[in-house]
Amino acid sequence: MTPVASDILVARNISKTYFDSVRNNDVHALQDVSMTVRAHEFVSVIGPSGCGKSTFLRIVAGLDRPTSGEVLVDGRKITRPGADRGMVFQEYALLPWKTTWANIEFGPRLKGIGRKERDAIVRRFVDLVGLTGFEEKYPHQLSGGMRQRAAVARVLANNPAVLLMDEPFAAVDAMTRQRLQEELTAITAVEHTTVLFVTHAIDEAVFLSDRVIALSGRPGRIATDLIIDLPRPRRWEELVRDERFASYRDELTRCIHGTAAVKEHA
Amino acid sequence: MTASEVSAEVMRPVPRARVLRWATDLLPFVVGVAIWQLLSFLEIWPRVLFPSPLEVLAAFAEDLRTGVLLVNLGVSLKSLGLGFVIGAIFAVPLGYLMGLNRFSRDFFDPLVNLLQAIPGLAWIPFAILWFGLGQGAVTFIIVMSVFFPVLHNLLTGIRMVQPVLIEAVQTLGAGRVAVIRHVIFPSTLPNLMTGVRLGIAFGFRSLVGGEMIASTDGLGYAIFNAQQYFQSARIVVGMLAIGITWLLMDRLILRPIELRTTLRWGLVREGLEST
Repeated sequence: MTPVASDILVARNISKTYFDSVRNNDVHALQDVSMTVRAHEFVSVIGPSGCGKSTFLRIVAGLDRPTSGEVLVDGRKITRPGADRGMVFQEYALLPWKTTWANIEFGPRLKGIGRKERDAIVRRFVDLVGLTGFEEKYPHQLSGGMRQRAAVARVLANNPAVLLMDEPFAAVDAMTRQRLQEELTAITAVEHTTVLFVTHAIDEAVFLSDRVIALSGRPGRIATDLIIDLPRPRRWEELVRDERFASYRDELTRCIHGTAAVKEHA
Repeated sequence: MTASEVSAEVMRPVPRARVLRWATDLLPFVVGVAIWQLLSFLEIWPRVLFPSPLEVLAAFAEDLRTGVLLVNLGVSLKSLGLGFVIGAIFAVPLGYLMGLNRFSRDFFDPLVNLLQAIPGLAWIPFAILWFGLGQGAVTFIIVMSVFFPVLHNLLTGIRMVQPVLIEAVQTLGAGRVAVIRHVIFPSTLPNLMTGVRLGIAFGFRSLVGGEMIASTDGLGYAIFNAQQYFQSARIVVGMLAIGITWLLMDRLILRPIELRTTLRWGLVREGLEST
């Protein structure tokens, strides 16, 4: 794969094997995974549980090391976590002792951005994610949906090269989830954010993404790389009736279940 | 987004309920003293073995008037305060060092495990040998009593820091120093507070015991001395002074600190009934 200038993220031949001390054997989580993400592109990685999709995201974040292969972001090789790859976690991971405002301010403050500019940045993202009026609340005073909005704002305020999201909406109720998904597509469109999104929900991946990469079961390998050609902005009430949405979803379902079935028979 | 999305709003008790709570708080004490007075009125036991509440009140007034009580209280609190501060000054940095550095953890862990099994009061003989009878010996005993609960709870706190919080701030650009400052320190605060409370409680117990054996003043010594002269009402005065002092310290110093930090952050709850 030849990197193109607009490729923000390049993963080359990522393999990950770790030792499971409970079962006392090696686990091959990922095998030879290569992909690129272009600027402003929204890419989802899906796959059955245990396919290594979260491991892949953690490797990109620099939180885990690959056994072999390398990840480049903006042409630089990843060796450790950094502000250019902000991550949103399923469990929100807001700092409980900081208010919404202080949580969102965290990244810009670490970077040493001055008070005035920092306030403007935080203000903008608080408003963008719809948390106006909740700036002085602590995370435990917010609902799950609001916490995840704050977590997204916290990363966006830090202006990362790529926004990493690890099943961010898995812990909220179904209705809140759909609303958060619509908000996320709107926000990333406005901000031209580059997103690498991990989920096990096929609907979610199709709804959000420009491209969906499906991994096969353990060890995770790329099973398909599907471009989602649907107009934006996307709304659930329109897409549920869209035939193309249904066909993308069916194609990915077949692909994932197919590999899972093969795996089980093997 | 509506205000109803705010999951937990802080409830303020209305003043009326507050008065009622004071009353319910006091009730057991009133009943207890009434039974006590009744029993002593019946004179089942000799007065020197079982002083009445009125005698205790008289002794209390007398000790307050002569200033003996306050002087002894002052001596005790000074030993406790000094012992606590010294104990914490050693325990807190060692706790963070052991919690954050594998080498120092492996090195100190066996030592700490051995020493923490030894009660603070077991240090009395050495305390007397090294410092002589007096406040120095008592302070040393308190240091030994405070040190381990503080250290132990701090280490527990560091083990309980959520990895995802560390990872989250790392992806926001935090290095090791920022992780320690913004995640580890605040995360460990509830456990540190528990350690401080336990440390003071342990120190308080050792204080009384230590003063009885290794000192010539303080509340513990006062109790012990009163027994020598069969002034049993003054024994009770000393005991009550110890209990009330502890209660006041807990309510006026320790609880407010806890309220201002960990409860506000939602890290610990007041009790199961408030959920």
